[in-house]
Amino acid sequence: MELIVAEDLAKRYGKVVAVDGLNLKVEKGTILGLIGPNGAGKTTTIKIILGLLRPDRGKVSVFGEDPWDNPEIRRDIGIIYEKAYFPSHHKVLDYMQRTCRIFGVPESRAREVLELVGLNAYDREIKGLSAGMLQKFAIAHALIHEPKLIIADEPASNLDPESRSNLLDLILKLHKEKDVTFLISSHILPELSRVCDSVAIINNGKVLASGLLTELFDKYSAKTVRVTTNKPEVFADELRKLPYVERMTIDSRGVSIITAEGTESNIYEDAPRIAKKIGAVIMGIELGTASLEQLYYKVVREGGEK
Amino acid sequence: MTEKQKGHPFLEVLATSIHEDFRFPILEIFAFLYAISTFALLGIGGGFTVTFARNEEAATYQLVNIQMGTPLFIFLILIFKNVVYGFGSEFEKGTIQTLLSYPLKRRMILTAKLLSALGVSLVMFLGIQFFALYIMAPQTISANLSTVIISYLSSLSYPLFLTAILLLVAMRVRKGGLALVLGIVLYFALSVFTGILTALSITTRNSFPLKVIAVLNPSLATQFHYSPLSSLLGETIWNPDFNEVLMYIFGGYCLVFAAFLIAYYYFSRRLNL
Repeated sequence: MELIVAEDLAKRYGKVVAVDGLNLKVEKGTILGLIGPNGAGKTTTIKIILGLLRPDRGKVSVFGEDPWDNPEIRRDIGIIYEKAYFPSHHKVLDYMQRTCRIFGVPESRAREVLELVGLNAYDREIKGLSAGMLQKFAIAHALIHEPKLIIADEPASNLDPESRSNLLDLILKLHKEKDVTFLISSHILPELSRVCDSVAIINNGKVLASGLLTELFDKYSAKTVRVTTNKPEVFADELRKLPYVERMTIDSRGVSIITAEGTESNIYEDAPRIAKKIGAVIMGIELGTASLEQLYYKVVREGGEK
Repeated sequence: MTEKQKGHPFLEVLATSIHEDFRFPILEIFAFLYAISTFALLGIGGGFTVTFARNEEAATYQLVNIQMGTPLFIFLILIFKNVVYGFGSEFEKGTIQTLLSYPLKRRMILTAKLLSALGVSLVMFLGIQFFALYIMAPQTISANLSTVIISYLSSLSYPLFLTAILLLVAMRVRKGGLALVLGIVLYFALSVFTGILTALSITTRNSFPLKVIAVLNPSLATQFHYSPLSSLLGETIWNPDFNEVLMYIFGGYCLVFAAFLIAYYYFSRRLNL
């Protein structure tokens, strides 16, 4: 069952085309990551899905309804905006209790969700919260009515590493225990890859690729060759000269290489030659699956669906 | 799963708006003190003297007009503060996005905001006015209730029309400060325009310019009904009869209704965030 269906969406701001023929589906029970560069159209897409923007063309349905005309669907949607905005002169607990009354849930739920996100400044005014605390407040606000679908635009922004990790754990927990569906837009790809089972890669207002992560890795042959060596920097300099090497990530112990499709095996021939030339020692050569970041770069570079 | 009921989104959004709009009720306290001073003056025998009125109705009108003066101006300032600056700031700060995450139709959100920003001020203004009038001259007011009602209806039409226009301005510019400045400029521009047209009427001895302005501001028609506009030579330029005054009031409120309808339509169907 598809909770969100966006068909041929288009939106323009003056001369700037934000979204151009975008198609997106979010299946029930998935955690879909929406990834793309700045200006790709992610936030515009999310705003159209939330009923904040009318598209110039196309249609969108959430739970089978038009989000602009049917606010009742918001009872099942939790929203986390990139920047959280709340009436600043309310106290944290007071406003959460007010939100409980808005959605018709018991007021005891207010403390529950605040404890869940680790925010215990109950008597502080919202304007007195730090950026990280405000983001936690926004997350709690989105969870208070136990929604079936959570739409989050950069939910981990302003969170410290521990809080970010806790948020990811919470997403996985809600997904597993309560079958909550997520649509998450984020730049932090390593963290998205930890929670997402599917992604939609968007650029220039279009979805370039979407689907289950495993299927996309296969489809785009997003594999890496990992060479462990004692001279990774020098080794990488030599690898750059090879025509089939597309991208590399260098760390202290070796180099991870993405090659053109079908050329991964060439590394097994060239690596020993290069090592001999520069006097390096190769401790190992492995073939593995690319990271989400590498998949993303590959898809954006190749420009679309295969 | 927590047991859910329907909830009260409209009432809670209204309560939130009132909490935000009236957390520093300085102007409201000022209005209250002004009202108290009225009673204090009465207490020490000050009272109000109404002179040069043609008849009892005109005298009642003058009494209402004098009583309305400063509080009406304060009411206008409250509208600017709460509707123009307050609503415009919602867009600037982004809190309107949060309101649109609740299960509430857009027009109901706007209604809640207007009830808080405009409704509370209006009730306070009218409450203080009627109470003060009944304390000061209960028999006169009771005998000429229609004059009192007509006076208030005609005086409130223009501020309400301004409210609707400035609401649209606030939605378009999405900045509280800018909307407020534009509102003040518009208010003074219209005041100057009214003054120019009145002077034009007096000098040309032609009531047409005034009739044009009276559609926008029916209190002019009411004013000249009870106290006709005369030229420098004492010739009557405009003295609308009671039915004419009612027509101008009706026309004024049609404009108010149309302006609010446009504001509602824009917010409900057209406003992109």
